Amino acid sequence: MDSRRSECEAIVRRLWPYLDDKLPETDRERVTRHLEECDDCVSHFDYARAFLDAVHAARPPANPDDALRARVLTALSDHGLAI
Amino acid sequence: MLETTQRLVLTPDSVRERDREFAAAALPLMPHVKRYALSLTRNEADADDIVQETYLRAHRYWSTFHDGTDCRKWLLTICRNAFTTNVHREERSIAVEDDELESLAAARTHNAARVAGVDDIYAQLDLGPAIRAAIDKLDTVFRDVVVLSDIEGFSYEEIAETLGIPMGTVRSRLFRARRHLQEALMVYALDAGFGRVQGAPRKSTAEATNNG
Repeated sequence: MDSRRSECEAIVRRLWPYLDDKLPETDRERVTRHLEECDDCVSHFDYARAFLDAVHAARPPANPDDALRARVLTALSDHGLAI
Repeated sequence: MLETTQRLVLTPDSVRERDREFAAAALPLMPHVKRYALSLTRNEADADDIVQETYLRAHRYWSTFHDGTDCRKWLLTICRNAFTTNVHREERSIAVEDDELESLAAARTHNAARVAGVDDIYAQLDLGPAIRAAIDKLDTVFRDVVVLSDIEGFSYEEIAETLGIPMGTVRSRLFRARRHLQEALMVYALDAGFGRVQGAPRKSTAEATNNG
Protein backbone atom coordinates (compact mmCIF):
# COMPACT_ATOMS: atom_id res chain seq x y z
CA MET A 1 0.00 0.00 0.00
CA ASP A 2 2.81 2.36 1.01
CA SER A 3 4.83 1.52 -2.08
CA ARG A 4 1.74 2.13 -4.18
CA ARG A 5 1.27 5.52 -2.54
CA SER A 6 4.90 6.49 -3.02
CA GLU A 7 4.66 5.51 -6.69
CA CYS A 8 1.55 7.70 -7.01
CA GLU A 9 3.47 10.56 -5.44
CA ALA A 10 6.39 10.04 -7.80
CA ILE A 11 3.98 10.10 -10.73
CA VAL A 12 2.13 13.22 -9.58
CA ARG A 13 5.49 14.99 -9.11
CA ARG A 14 5.82 14.70 -12.88
CA LEU A 15 2.33 16.00 -13.64
CA TRP A 16 3.09 19.35 -15.26
CA PRO A 17 6.20 18.28 -17.23
CA TYR A 18 4.23 15.26 -18.47
CA LEU A 19 1.34 17.41 -19.66
CA ASP A 20 3.81 19.84 -21.23
CA ASP A 21 5.48 16.92 -23.03
CA LYS A 22 8.79 17.72 -21.36
CA LEU A 23 9.63 14.46 -19.63
CA PRO A 24 12.50 12.25 -20.73
CA GLU A 25 11.22 9.21 -22.61
CA THR A 26 11.77 6.70 -19.78
CA ASP A 27 9.95 8.94 -17.28
CA ARG A 28 7.18 9.51 -19.75
CA GLU A 29 6.65 5.79 -20.26
CA ARG A 30 6.63 5.23 -16.52
CA VAL A 31 3.90 7.85 -16.05
CA THR A 32 1.85 6.54 -18.97
CA ARG A 33 2.02 2.97 -17.62
CA HIS A 34 0.96 4.12 -14.17
CA LEU A 35 -1.95 6.14 -15.52
CA GLU A 36 -3.25 3.07 -17.31
CA GLU A 37 -3.92 1.44 -13.98
CA CYS A 38 -4.46 4.22 -11.41
CA ASP A 39 -7.80 6.01 -11.58
CA ASP A 40 -6.91 8.45 -8.82
CA CYS A 41 -3.80 9.71 -10.59
CA VAL A 42 -5.70 9.82 -13.89
CA SER A 43 -8.25 12.13 -12.28
CA HIS A 44 -5.48 14.54 -11.17
CA PHE A 45 -4.01 14.59 -14.65
CA ASP A 46 -7.43 15.02 -16.29
CA TYR A 47 -8.24 17.92 -13.97
CA ALA A 48 -4.93 19.62 -14.78
CA ARG A 49 -5.39 19.00 -18.50
CA ALA A 50 -8.91 20.50 -18.41
CA PHE A 51 -7.44 23.53 -16.66
CA LEU A 52 -4.76 23.98 -19.35
CA ASP A 53 -7.36 23.63 -22.11
CA ALA A 54 -9.54 26.25 -20.40
CA VAL A 55 -6.63 28.69 -20.09
CA HIS A 56 -5.72 28.25 -23.74
CA ALA A 57 -9.35 28.69 -24.79
CA ALA A 58 -9.58 31.86 -22.68
CA ARG A 59 -6.90 33.69 -24.59
CA PRO A 60 -8.19 37.01 -25.88
CA PRO A 61 -8.81 37.24 -29.62
CA ALA A 62 -6.01 38.75 -31.71
CA ASN A 63 -8.07 41.41 -33.45
CA PRO A 64 -6.82 43.42 -36.42
CA ASP A 65 -6.39 47.08 -35.50
CA ASP A 66 -6.34 49.27 -38.63
CA ALA A 67 -5.42 52.45 -36.78
CA LEU A 68 -2.43 50.78 -35.11
CA ARG A 69 -1.35 49.21 -38.40
CA ALA A 70 -1.42 52.63 -40.11
CA ARG A 71 0.51 54.19 -37.26
CA VAL A 72 3.19 51.48 -37.33
CA LEU A 73 3.51 51.69 -41.11
CA THR A 74 4.01 55.45 -40.89
CA ALA A 75 6.69 54.99 -38.23
CA LEU A 76 8.39 52.29 -40.32
CA SER A 77 8.35 54.52 -43.41
CA ASP A 78 9.90 57.34 -41.37
CA HIS A 79 12.66 54.88 -40.46
CA GLY A 80 13.34 53.83 -44.03
CA LEU A 81 10.92 51.03 -44.81
CA ALA A 82 10.84 50.78 -48.60
CA ILE A 83 7.81 48.93 -49.92
CA MET B 1 37.52 41.73 -46.58
CA LEU B 2 36.56 43.44 -49.81
CA GLU B 3 34.22 40.57 -50.59
CA THR B 4 32.56 40.92 -47.16
CA THR B 5 32.07 44.64 -47.62
CA GLN B 6 30.54 44.11 -51.03
CA ARG B 7 28.09 41.62 -49.62
CA LEU B 8 26.89 44.10 -47.00
CA VAL B 9 26.10 46.84 -49.52
CA LEU B 10 22.45 46.57 -50.47
CA THR B 11 21.17 47.97 -53.72
CA PRO B 12 17.86 49.88 -53.68
CA ASP B 13 16.23 46.86 -55.29
CA SER B 14 17.51 44.46 -52.67
CA VAL B 15 16.44 46.85 -49.89
CA ARG B 16 12.97 46.95 -51.38
CA GLU B 17 12.92 43.18 -51.69
CA ARG B 18 14.07 42.75 -48.08
CA ASP B 19 11.48 45.22 -46.81
CA ARG B 20 8.72 43.51 -48.79
CA GLU B 21 9.67 40.21 -47.19
CA PHE B 22 9.62 41.87 -43.80
CA ALA B 23 6.22 43.45 -44.42
CA ALA B 24 4.72 40.22 -45.75
CA ALA B 25 5.98 38.14 -42.85
CA ALA B 26 5.72 40.53 -39.92
CA LEU B 27 2.80 42.90 -40.49
CA PRO B 28 0.03 40.25 -40.56
CA LEU B 29 1.19 39.16 -37.11
CA MET B 30 0.50 42.57 -35.56
CA PRO B 31 -2.74 41.43 -33.85
CA HIS B 32 -0.74 38.73 -32.04
CA VAL B 33 1.93 41.22 -31.01
CA LYS B 34 -0.76 43.61 -29.79
CA ARG B 35 -2.43 40.90 -27.73
CA TYR B 36 0.88 40.01 -26.11
CA ALA B 37 1.78 43.68 -25.57
CA LEU B 38 -1.56 44.18 -23.84
CA SER B 39 -0.85 41.25 -21.54
CA LEU B 40 2.38 43.01 -20.55
CA THR B 41 1.15 46.58 -20.21
CA ARG B 42 -2.55 45.99 -19.39
CA ASN B 43 -3.03 49.39 -20.93
CA GLU B 44 -4.13 50.06 -24.53
CA ALA B 45 -2.04 53.18 -25.21
CA ASP B 46 1.14 51.69 -23.72
CA ALA B 47 0.55 48.47 -25.68
CA ASP B 48 0.33 50.44 -28.95
CA ASP B 49 3.62 52.18 -28.14
CA ILE B 50 5.26 48.82 -27.47
CA VAL B 51 3.89 47.37 -30.72
CA GLN B 52 5.31 50.28 -32.70
CA GLU B 53 8.69 49.93 -31.00
CA THR B 54 8.60 46.18 -31.65
CA TYR B 55 8.12 46.70 -35.38
CA LEU B 56 10.81 49.37 -35.61
CA ARG B 57 13.28 47.02 -33.94
CA ALA B 58 12.11 44.04 -35.99
CA HIS B 59 12.64 46.03 -39.19
CA ARG B 60 16.07 47.13 -38.05
CA TYR B 61 17.14 43.58 -37.21
CA TRP B 62 15.24 41.75 -39.93
CA SER B 63 18.51 40.46 -41.36
CA THR B 64 19.01 38.47 -38.14
CA PHE B 65 15.71 36.65 -38.52
CA HIS B 66 16.26 33.12 -39.73
CA ASP B 67 13.95 32.19 -42.52
CA GLY B 68 11.95 29.12 -41.63
CA THR B 69 11.79 29.89 -37.91
CA ASP B 70 8.68 31.14 -36.13
CA CYS B 71 8.28 34.83 -36.95
CA ARG B 72 5.48 35.25 -34.38
CA LYS B 73 7.70 34.03 -31.55
CA TRP B 74 10.57 36.19 -32.82
CA LEU B 75 8.31 39.26 -32.74
CA LEU B 76 6.94 38.41 -29.29
CA THR B 77 10.48 38.10 -27.97
CA ILE B 78 11.33 41.53 -29.37
CA CYS B 79 8.08 42.83 -27.89
CA ARG B 80 9.04 41.52 -24.47
CA ASN B 81 12.46 43.15 -24.74
CA ALA B 82 10.93 46.44 -25.91
CA PHE B 83 8.60 46.38 -22.93
CA THR B 84 11.42 45.68 -20.49
CA THR B 85 13.59 48.42 -21.95
CA ASN B 86 10.81 50.98 -22.07
CA VAL B 87 9.44 50.42 -18.64
CA HIS B 88 12.79 49.81 -16.94
CA ARG B 89 11.06 47.34 -14.75
CA GLU B 90 12.86 45.83 -11.87
CA GLU B 91 12.03 42.19 -11.70
CA ARG B 92 11.46 41.19 -8.19
CA SER B 93 13.27 38.08 -7.26
CA ILE B 94 10.76 35.67 -5.87
CA ALA B 95 11.86 32.50 -4.24
CA VAL B 96 10.00 29.62 -5.77
CA GLU B 97 9.54 26.16 -4.49
CA ASP B 98 10.87 23.07 -6.12
CA ASP B 99 8.87 22.50 -9.28
CA GLU B 100 8.06 18.89 -8.38
CA LEU B 101 6.42 20.15 -5.21
CA GLU B 102 4.30 22.44 -7.36
CA SER B 103 3.11 19.40 -9.30
CA LEU B 104 2.14 17.77 -6.00
CA ALA B 105 0.34 20.99 -5.05
CA ALA B 106 -1.69 20.68 -8.26
CA ALA B 107 -3.02 17.34 -7.02
CA ARG B 108 -3.81 18.87 -3.63
CA THR B 109 -5.72 21.66 -5.37
CA HIS B 110 -7.69 19.02 -7.23
CA ASN B 111 -8.48 17.23 -3.97
CA ALA B 112 -9.65 20.50 -2.42
CA ALA B 113 -11.84 21.15 -5.46
CA ARG B 114 -13.33 17.68 -5.11
CA VAL B 115 -14.16 18.26 -1.46
CA ALA B 116 -15.73 21.63 -2.29
CA GLY B 117 -17.68 20.10 -5.18
CA VAL B 118 -16.08 22.31 -7.82
CA ASP B 119 -13.88 19.74 -9.52
CA ASP B 120 -15.83 19.79 -12.79
CA ILE B 121 -15.99 23.56 -13.25
CA TYR B 122 -13.95 23.41 -16.46
CA ALA B 123 -16.68 21.35 -18.09
CA GLN B 124 -19.57 23.18 -16.46
CA LEU B 125 -18.72 26.89 -16.47
CA ASP B 126 -17.53 29.42 -19.02
CA LEU B 127 -14.41 30.48 -17.19
CA GLY B 128 -12.92 32.68 -19.92
CA PRO B 129 -13.48 36.04 -18.22
CA ALA B 130 -12.49 34.65 -14.82
CA ILE B 131 -9.29 33.15 -16.24
CA ARG B 132 -8.31 36.40 -17.96
CA ALA B 133 -8.99 38.35 -14.75
CA ALA B 134 -6.98 35.85 -12.70
CA ILE B 135 -4.03 36.08 -15.11
CA ASP B 136 -4.13 39.88 -14.90
CA LYS B 137 -3.91 39.69 -11.12
CA LEU B 138 -0.85 37.44 -11.11
CA ASP B 139 2.44 38.88 -10.00
CA THR B 140 4.41 39.99 -13.09
CA VAL B 141 7.04 37.26 -12.90
CA PHE B 142 4.34 34.59 -12.87
CA ARG B 143 2.13 36.29 -15.47
CA ASP B 144 5.12 36.52 -17.84
CA VAL B 145 5.70 32.79 -17.97
CA VAL B 146 2.09 31.63 -17.96
CA VAL B 147 1.16 33.98 -20.82
CA LEU B 148 4.14 32.87 -22.91
CA SER B 149 3.55 29.20 -22.18
CA ASP B 150 -0.17 28.64 -21.91
CA ILE B 151 -1.48 31.49 -24.06
CA GLU B 152 1.25 31.97 -26.68
CA GLY B 153 2.56 28.41 -26.86
CA PHE B 154 6.24 29.00 -26.11
CA SER B 155 8.32 26.01 -24.97
CA TYR B 156 10.24 26.08 -21.66
CA GLU B 157 13.44 26.69 -23.64
CA GLU B 158 11.95 29.57 -25.62
CA ILE B 159 10.64 31.20 -22.44
CA ALA B 160 14.03 30.85 -20.75
CA GLU B 161 15.68 32.53 -23.72
CA THR B 162 13.06 35.27 -24.02
CA LEU B 163 13.06 36.18 -20.34
CA GLY B 164 16.75 35.49 -19.75
CA ILE B 165 16.11 33.14 -16.85
CA PRO B 166 17.18 29.54 -16.21
CA MET B 167 14.91 26.68 -17.30
CA GLY B 168 14.39 25.59 -13.70
CA THR B 169 13.09 29.06 -12.89
CA VAL B 170 10.73 28.88 -15.88
CA ARG B 171 9.30 25.61 -14.60
CA SER B 172 8.97 26.78 -11.01
CA ARG B 173 7.30 30.05 -11.96
CA LEU B 174 5.03 28.39 -14.50
CA PHE B 175 3.81 25.69 -12.16
CA ARG B 176 3.37 28.15 -9.33
CA ALA B 177 1.41 30.46 -11.65
CA ARG B 178 -0.86 27.59 -12.65
CA ARG B 179 -1.51 26.76 -9.02
CA HIS B 180 -2.41 30.39 -8.28
CA LEU B 181 -4.79 30.37 -11.24
CA GLN B 182 -6.40 27.08 -10.22
CA GLU B 183 -6.92 28.38 -6.70
CA ALA B 184 -8.36 31.65 -8.00
CA LEU B 185 -10.78 29.78 -10.27
CA MET B 186 -11.87 27.57 -7.42
CA VAL B 187 -12.65 30.65 -5.35
CA TYR B 188 -14.48 32.15 -8.33
CA ALA B 189 -16.61 29.04 -8.71
CA LEU B 190 -17.44 28.96 -5.02
CA ASP B 191 -18.30 32.68 -5.03
CA ALA B 192 -20.54 32.02 -8.03
CA GLY B 193 -22.43 29.51 -5.92
CA PHE B 194 -21.11 26.54 -7.84
CA GLY B 195 -20.07 24.54 -4.82
CA ARG B 196 -21.47 21.89 -2.64
CA VAL B 197 -23.05 23.13 0.58
CA GLN B 198 -22.63 20.40 3.14
CA GLY B 199 -25.71 18.21 3.16
CA ALA B 200 -27.32 19.99 0.21
CA PRO B 201 -27.29 19.14 -3.49
CA ARG B 202 -25.06 21.30 -5.62
CA LYS B 203 -26.62 24.09 -7.63
CA SER B 204 -27.03 23.59 -11.35
CA THR B 205 -24.82 25.48 -13.76
CA ALA B 206 -27.70 27.75 -14.74
CA GLU B 207 -28.49 28.63 -11.14
CA ALA B 208 -24.87 29.29 -10.36
CA THR B 209 -24.44 31.49 -13.43
CA ASN B 210 -27.62 33.44 -12.72
CA ASN B 211 -26.50 34.12 -9.21
CA GLY B 212 -22.93 34.86 -10.28
